[in-house]
Amino acid sequence: MSAAHLRTYWQLRMASWVRRRQGPDALPLTLHRRRIYILPTRAGLGFLLLVFLMFVAGLNYANSLALFLTFLLGGFGLITMHQCHRNLMGTSLRAASAGATFASRAGTLRLELESSASTPRYRIGAAIETDAPLVADLPANGRQPIDLSVAAPVRGVVHIDRLKLTTTHPFGLFRAWSWVHAPLRMIVYPRPSGTLPMPADDAQNAGKLARGGAGADEWLGLRPFRDGDSPRQVDWKAYAREAPLLVKEYSSSASELRLFRFDALTGLSIERRLEQLARWIVDAEAQGETYGIELPGTRIEPDRGPQHRHRCLSALALHERQETSR
Amino acid sequence: MKLRGEATTLRPLAWSAVAFAAGTLLNADRVPAWVSVAALVLLAWRMWAAWRPTRSLRLPGILVRTLLAAVLVLGVLGRFHTLNGLSAGTALLILMGASKLLETSSQRDALIVVAVSLFLLLAAVLDRQNLLRTPLYLVQVWICCTAIAVIGYAPTSAPREPGTARGFDDRSALKLAARTLLLATPLALLMFLFFPRLAGAFWALPRGDLATTGLSDTMTPGSITRLTGSYDIAFRVRFNGPVPPPAMRYWRGPVLHDFDGQTWRRTFTGPYRGAPLEYLGTPYRYLVLLEPSSQRWWFALDTIGRRPEGFVFLTQDNELIGTRPVSDTITYTAVSYTDVRSTAELTAGPRRRDTQPVRGNPRSHTLARDLRARAGSDGAYVAAVLDFLRTGGFEYTLTPPPLGPDSVDDFLFGTRRGFCGHFASAFVALMREAKVPAHVVTGYLGGEWNPIGGYLIVRQSDAHAWAEVWLQGRGWTRVDPTAVVEPERLNRGILDLLPNAVSAEARLVRASSSLTALLQRWDAANAWWTEHVVKYDFNAQVGILQRLGIDSPDASDLGWALAGGLLLWMAWIAWQHARGAPPPQRDRLTLAYSRLCTKLLEAGIERAPHQGPIGFAETVRQRRPDLAGPVGVLLSQYAQLRFGPVSDDDAAGVSTFERAVRQLVCRREARVPPLR
Repeated sequence: MSAAHLRTYWQLRMASWVRRRQGPDALPLTLHRRRIYILPTRAGLGFLLLVFLMFVAGLNYANSLALFLTFLLGGFGLITMHQCHRNLMGTSLRAASAGATFASRAGTLRLELESSASTPRYRIGAAIETDAPLVADLPANGRQPIDLSVAAPVRGVVHIDRLKLTTTHPFGLFRAWSWVHAPLRMIVYPRPSGTLPMPADDAQNAGKLARGGAGADEWLGLRPFRDGDSPRQVDWKAYAREAPLLVKEYSSSASELRLFRFDALTGLSIERRLEQLARWIVDAEAQGETYGIELPGTRIEPDRGPQHRHRCLSALALHERQETSR
Repeated sequence: MKLRGEATTLRPLAWSAVAFAAGTLLNADRVPAWVSVAALVLLAWRMWAAWRPTRSLRLPGILVRTLLAAVLVLGVLGRFHTLNGLSAGTALLILMGASKLLETSSQRDALIVVAVSLFLLLAAVLDRQNLLRTPLYLVQVWICCTAIAVIGYAPTSAPREPGTARGFDDRSALKLAARTLLLATPLALLMFLFFPRLAGAFWALPRGDLATTGLSDTMTPGSITRLTGSYDIAFRVRFNGPVPPPAMRYWRGPVLHDFDGQTWRRTFTGPYRGAPLEYLGTPYRYLVLLEPSSQRWWFALDTIGRRPEGFVFLTQDNELIGTRPVSDTITYTAVSYTDVRSTAELTAGPRRRDTQPVRGNPRSHTLARDLRARAGSDGAYVAAVLDFLRTGGFEYTLTPPPLGPDSVDDFLFGTRRGFCGHFASAFVALMREAKVPAHVVTGYLGGEWNPIGGYLIVRQSDAHAWAEVWLQGRGWTRVDPTAVVEPERLNRGILDLLPNAVSAEARLVRASSSLTALLQRWDAANAWWTEHVVKYDFNAQVGILQRLGIDSPDASDLGWALAGGLLLWMAWIAWQHARGAPPPQRDRLTLAYSRLCTKLLEAGIERAPHQGPIGFAETVRQRRPDLAGPVGVLLSQYAQLRFGPVSDDDAAGVSTFERAVRQLVCRREARVPPLR
């Protein structure tokens, strides 16, 4: 068994032991002393060696002052252990949310850290599993978000099993860490790709899909701007009168109604089809069109807006879904 | 140029440089000047390159660095001819640390530089443990710990968002390091007191060339003046019991037998064989704290009773010679007598050695024969010679004129001006001319009493030379010809008699009584430090345990004391630790509300985490209509108190709420209607 194998084996053993020991967690969660683990860092081991050498020299020469300094530094090392432990204790993980992303693009996991301590908590790092942690300073009695990047190579769902909160502050001689078993899912949409033209308004379905029924451009009203709305729909005149950013809504019959059908894409692999569908959804949404999708066993009625886009893309992502575990 | 790796920003680098510079300065007086200068130049180079990254002053590449390191090692080798030894090792450490600093770019490199600085501190501590330098050592520990903190904090990946937290700046780092060291101090003291001190060394490192001070084993008549100008302390003596009168304070050092007409030299006379001596008078018991001199001489009052404990042996001449040069302060206890007698015969060997004729010097030869012929005995001859010195118009001075080849004649009949060395030398020469066994004894006479610490300070300026003659029925008898010429020398130090002998600062000190008192205090503190801290050993540890009431303590008792103390310290730290993170304070209202929720939970109704009091009241109404009345009132009361407008009778309302919650009785219902 190679060293890497041994390491992985050990990590898995430890992970399962920690999970059994701690049980599942629910956010928000405050780290208390029973769930903080601590070990010396490489620098800490070096410091230990240095103190040992000083100790031997002091003993050898029966040099009182050298011995005293050795003991002082030894005590210093022990206290830093307590301080490192305390630096993590009382830190809360308020929330953790993973926004959806497209395959082969990194997703973002946003963690909301909070400290109820009266002094700042420096160098609190957060990481997914055993990744390199991203560090931030927590203000006293304050919050600090940390955005972790999550690799998403393929579409589907990335399961984030556990998070690690860690610190080596102060002095960096010890590393304290804590595991949080708060399962998170991150949807990974198929990568939008493909060059096929968007299917035209489906006449066969038009009547069935139309909302409102009236044939003309029917003014529906104004609604607040949402991410993803096309700039062409923004009521710029109103905006110029210092009104909030509003979007003009027309009845769906005003724009084209599109239904993207999985089965219509013949001659392509499943993944290519999903990527093409994703391409169309992204484009249609950007152009402010009304669209729906039809997958084997799933149908989403035409609509638009970011929520709808997410629903459609998620349906693609979860189609015969592939799960990735982190 | 850019810093390689970019991981080290300026601050960690600057702190490791500060730690290293401080470590270098602590050792600056022990290594050649060029070593310190080279280290500081390299340091300045590195800092400048980091501070002003320009093309004009770039950092050297690997080739230049390797060459530089090689040149520096060769430089140390050329100076010391070895790399082993404290001085050479320190020099090497300084130069290698500076070279390391030159290539420092990562966190790890910076930590290595700090580790080197701590080793430099160790080297300085191993060399000297003065009271004066101890604060410097502590400051260096502080600097190094701060450097570790700053390096440990060094931002790695995420830049701090502005306005989130006041950064971990230098002040915070200094404060944190100081606080941590203060917390560690009790442990350090505890370990210091009770960690069993093993005797003996595992290995010895050559100490390198320290300047030798104090008496040497040769004497030309004028050589003692080399010492009298020095105000340095030779040793301190603490008497346990009676203190000898000033005129009896002869501290015996090297005994010199061989005279070539100019210089007296020592011959090794073999180990002490226990000559039949009768010890008369008061025994004086005392403790000597001998300052480092790089020589092997230990000093004792007049005639020592027996060999003291330690790495020392006693010679036939009652000299104490250490097994190795005194490079650290040494303490030893001894018993001495100022009045001894031997009725035995002087054996042939010592008699021959101490009656060797003096070459040349015809006039003293004639004088000796004349005086001896007139005197009835050896004792009367000694008195006659002393009388000659007393009445011969001799002058005691620190600036005698130089003597010619027949130095004894020149002194006795020519210059007549001399110092203790001249008198002792001439006296012994006259004795030997008359076949009276005699030799020169060098050592110290007198000492300054420190009333603060209650001990005697013997300085280099108290160096003295006197004579010993063998008198039948009395044995070796001390004769101090200087005392005949200048009787005051017995009672007063050389500094009082010949104020010009010492440096201007020392004169100034002696002129001002308040300054003298101040210095005596300082010296008392130093003596205490040396005696109780620097020389703290196993015996002192046992002494402390005895004072704590343990009968005949041994190493295992020390272990117990250490373990007990450690436990106490750890408990204290844990307490500090827990105190630092107080549990979030919950007010009375919250407490009462959670008590209410607990009661309801026991009754089978659980509040979902997302539910507020109003929502919870709805749940209660659905699931336990019987409780809905009282609980609903309480919950709306709580909602009013918690979220309603602030009013004056809130406190009364909270009390009412508390009481109502306490009085609420919720029986568990056997059948819970299913949730619709």
